[in-house]
Amino acid sequence: MSRDSNYDHHISIFSPNGRLYQIEYAFKASQSSGLTSVACRGADSVAICTQKKVPERLVDPESVSNVFTIVPSIGCLMTGIGPDCKALVQRIRYEANDFQYKYGYPIPCAQLAKRIADIAQVYTQSASMRPLAATAILISVDDEKGPQLFKVDPAGHYLPFFATSAGVKEQEAVNYFEKKVEDLKTSNVDDVARTAIMCLGSVLGSDFRGSEIEVALVQGKQRFKKLTEDEVEGHLNAIAEMDA
Amino acid sequence: MGDSAYSFSLTTFSRTGKLLQIEYALNAVSNGRCSLGIAAKDGVVIATDKKVSSTLIDVDEVQKIQSISPTSGFVYSGLGPDYRVLTRSARKNSAAYERTYGEAQPITQTVKQTASLMQEYTQSGGVRPFGCSVLAAGFDEDGEPKLFQVDPSGAYFGWRATAIGKGFVNAKSFLEKRVTSEILLEDAVHTCLLTLRESFEGEINGKNIEVGVLEKGGGFRILKEEEVNDYLNEAN
Repeated sequence: MSRDSNYDHHISIFSPNGRLYQIEYAFKASQSSGLTSVACRGADSVAICTQKKVPERLVDPESVSNVFTIVPSIGCLMTGIGPDCKALVQRIRYEANDFQYKYGYPIPCAQLAKRIADIAQVYTQSASMRPLAATAILISVDDEKGPQLFKVDPAGHYLPFFATSAGVKEQEAVNYFEKKVEDLKTSNVDDVARTAIMCLGSVLGSDFRGSEIEVALVQGKQRFKKLTEDEVEGHLNAIAEMDA
Repeated sequence: MGDSAYSFSLTTFSRTGKLLQIEYALNAVSNGRCSLGIAAKDGVVIATDKKVSSTLIDVDEVQKIQSISPTSGFVYSGLGPDYRVLTRSARKNSAAYERTYGEAQPITQTVKQTASLMQEYTQSGGVRPFGCSVLAAGFDEDGEPKLFQVDPSGAYFGWRATAIGKGFVNAKSFLEKRVTSEILLEDAVHTCLLTLRESFEGEINGKNIEVGVLEKGGGFRILKEEEVNDYLNEAN
């Protein structure tokens, strides 16, 4: 059965050309939610922005969110299959708090990203569990290294980014950011948030209302926080005035 | 390791007597970015292509070459996440040896333990082989600088100079012509850079390659971007 090369599509074993199809399929699955998320970092802040799609009108919009607080200093934006995202968030929260408990200080974002990526790697090597169809974007402002933005994917890769994206329109968002990356490095918190919002608007080809997107940021020594609908509208208005 | 539902090995013999999963894992290695190393008389140098796929990646914080102990280092070609498992295990083994015996673990032993781990994953139930080859730089029992390669099968080889990853065949012939048993570390670093440049797409500079150096009587360290650029300018 595992000698049969068709098995390589079912569990995480190598195909003849050295690829792991299960990981590639996990990436496809994490795009099946139809959402796109973007994140970018500036001089002293990091912003994340994602679509908020309420599946039916009777659903309470407050309960629909892809933005999670891990610990007060670290925020997380999840993209992928809902239940897998929630399961991964639980694990990320556990790991961050376990670190604080054992070592007595808050976990640096880089170490948390590495830990989650190492856990994701195990699913790619062990046949008994499938990879999670969830990509985590972790943000914080580190007291030694400044603004931090990491993306952890189902393959177990993790990389530090100046700006990144996950989801259906990932490539278009990356193309958008690549033109802005140099300016971003010195941007203040408002510009960073607006760049993230504009990027999402540009790749989705539409304007939003404050209730259709979620924006969150972490700045300086402040806690990770989600912006209220009014604050988001404020940024959207500022963007509209810039273009006018 | 592996769940009871998968207590059979996934790496099994084909009718012709081959272990196909290992061969496929080696294909995964050959698809990875080129890494190479040279063991000179007075030290070892390892280097790798660190090109990243986007300018959005904070490449200064990405490190492929990892020190395992103060006097040894690894680099890889292939799947990065699998490599992290190997560096973690090698670091634990090195540290445990040093704690027990009060001296640095010879690289030969670190390599054997890493190779043994990789072999386990070709025979145990419910797991696949590691998708990366590792180049290990360190000192042996006599304090001589050594370079080893460890493959997904668990086989390991000592080399005077070798290359792994994309274009490794050409890189190895390039090295064969230039590396002798008398080569010194300074020359070895230049030769490494020239070899990398051969198969490099685009311009090579201190930001898109990584170089690690182990000097005889000294420690393992990763060269800073400026140092790499200096070497590249000298090589011109």
